[in-house]
Amino acid sequence: MDIPSLQALAASNTWTSILPELMLGCLALLLLVLEIVLPKRLHSALPGVALLGVLALLAGQLLTACCGITEGESFNGLLYHSQEGQLMRVFFLLAALLTGVLGTVCLARQRVAHTEFYHILLVVTAAMMLLVQSNHFVMLFVTLETVTIGLYILVSYFRNSPFSLEAGLKYLIMGALSSAILLFGIVLLYGVGGNPSLPAHTASAMNFDELRAFLAANPHNFLASVGIVLVLSGVAFKIAAFPFQIWVPDVYQGAPTPVTAFLAVASKAAGFLVLLIVARTFSPYAWLLAPVLTVMAAATLLFGSLAALTQHNVKRLMGLSGVSHAGFLLLGVVAAGTQSMAVGAIYFYLFAYLLASFAVFGVMAQVAGPEDADQEISHYAGLAKDRPFLALVLAIGLGSLAGIPPLAGFMGKLFIFIAAFQAGLYGLLAVAVVAVVISIYYYFGWIRAVFFSNWVSPDGEAAPQPARAPVGLMAGLMLGVLALATIFLGFYQGPLGQWLNNR
Amino acid sequence: MIHAGLNTYVTLSALLFVIGFFGVLLRKNTLVIFMSLELMLVASTLALVAFSRFNGTLDGNVFVFFILTIAAAEVAVGLAIIVALFRMRRTVQVDELNALKH
Repeated sequence: MDIPSLQALAASNTWTSILPELMLGCLALLLLVLEIVLPKRLHSALPGVALLGVLALLAGQLLTACCGITEGESFNGLLYHSQEGQLMRVFFLLAALLTGVLGTVCLARQRVAHTEFYHILLVVTAAMMLLVQSNHFVMLFVTLETVTIGLYILVSYFRNSPFSLEAGLKYLIMGALSSAILLFGIVLLYGVGGNPSLPAHTASAMNFDELRAFLAANPHNFLASVGIVLVLSGVAFKIAAFPFQIWVPDVYQGAPTPVTAFLAVASKAAGFLVLLIVARTFSPYAWLLAPVLTVMAAATLLFGSLAALTQHNVKRLMGLSGVSHAGFLLLGVVAAGTQSMAVGAIYFYLFAYLLASFAVFGVMAQVAGPEDADQEISHYAGLAKDRPFLALVLAIGLGSLAGIPPLAGFMGKLFIFIAAFQAGLYGLLAVAVVAVVISIYYYFGWIRAVFFSNWVSPDGEAAPQPARAPVGLMAGLMLGVLALATIFLGFYQGPLGQWLNNR
Repeated sequence: MIHAGLNTYVTLSALLFVIGFFGVLLRKNTLVIFMSLELMLVASTLALVAFSRFNGTLDGNVFVFFILTIAAAEVAVGLAIIVALFRMRRTVQVDELNALKH
């Protein structure tokens, strides 16, 4: 290859188009540098630096999003920038900010290093932002692995707790297994797509557009279908869809509460965006894709709802109810095969899920005792009398997750159901309605403990209730804003809903 | 000299992948599970190089470098977690690591 052709290739490396990710990476490095150069007494300011930086990036992202961006590829087709990518950048920055605030609450109770938590959180967030804009399997795999390896560390972050470490090990084995399956699928697709004896073979079979063109020309290739099934299985592990959800309860319980929230919201959203991207790429294989995703959605909805019924630990409950939320989103993905409106519904659902989940996890972080894995529903007895504010936020968050009418979660489910109805998925819709009814039952079991039970000590004696720490200013502000936003988004979808419906 | 075609390489890598997969599912020692995971990555690498060679495209060869880097990072984090867990629980057997239940 000669110099001019290399120069032509380099011309598409528009570094300004990944400015938010670059700045996030620089902020992460800055934290480590500051920890070395600053004296020890100033180290407590470092989480504040991280949070302020993310807040500034979020504000910048919102300001520039209004001006519109140039849609198109960069870095030789490794990345594809779109309006949806901009929206998801906002989503992941918001998730990182909220996780950071939860981190200030939870890390204060443990004897662990603080700065590295924020460093890894920021790196993972930047990788997620690149992941949802990837347009090439190399980019997709490398960013996905950056996310996953970062999350191994975050899940086992409380390294004095055997629960956290055990959760980290289980997540590591399951995560690495799913990555290996995904990788083998990618390799098969690359091998088939580049086969010179097949029609429409391509030199860069790992590019999504080229691969789709190849698949359209060979609609019934055996090796390609095996590759597609392997890639789908790998992604299904990340979104915790049935039958790849076995890791969820243990990992969610053992991980530190902020990390559980990040896993539940940001990691799941990233997985669904990847699923949307690969489903679009594999669209010529709809004969294979549609039945696999339909069965997966139905099984995920039913398994998540039924398994959550028997849980007493609130972290396990959130994990298994998250599995059924993945089922609702999968319903949207199936509908997106024929209805473009379903894609907008998925985005709206993700935002509603973000607000409600962080409200619930925020309350959990306040109520949790020194042992982070031990959070039972019975610990919430009498919360309404003790801390009415926390109880109210928890009720709004859980109500939104269950899909109670005026709240954002209801609108999210409604949009998905409308899209599924228009796509004619009546059987799946019936399963989803059953799942909603079951979810109202188990979420209200938790709400009942908060409002209608009194504190009973484990031995049955009248032991004094353990004191609940007061809510800090920043955490209180966060919880209030999340609850208000959940109510507001339920009544008024505004420009966001309009924009999504027009996609 | 034995002539090895594309099918030989792909069959071998599929075999390695399946051995690794069942190793992860069936073995009880965490370290052996970890080796099986690496075997699955190596199987992908072998298939990638073979495809790259027989299709005449360079992408696969370059991707291998990324995979090696990722595998190294995964091992570094994974062994650190296993060592920390062993210090606390004095075991690396999967069926004894069951503190997280209800």
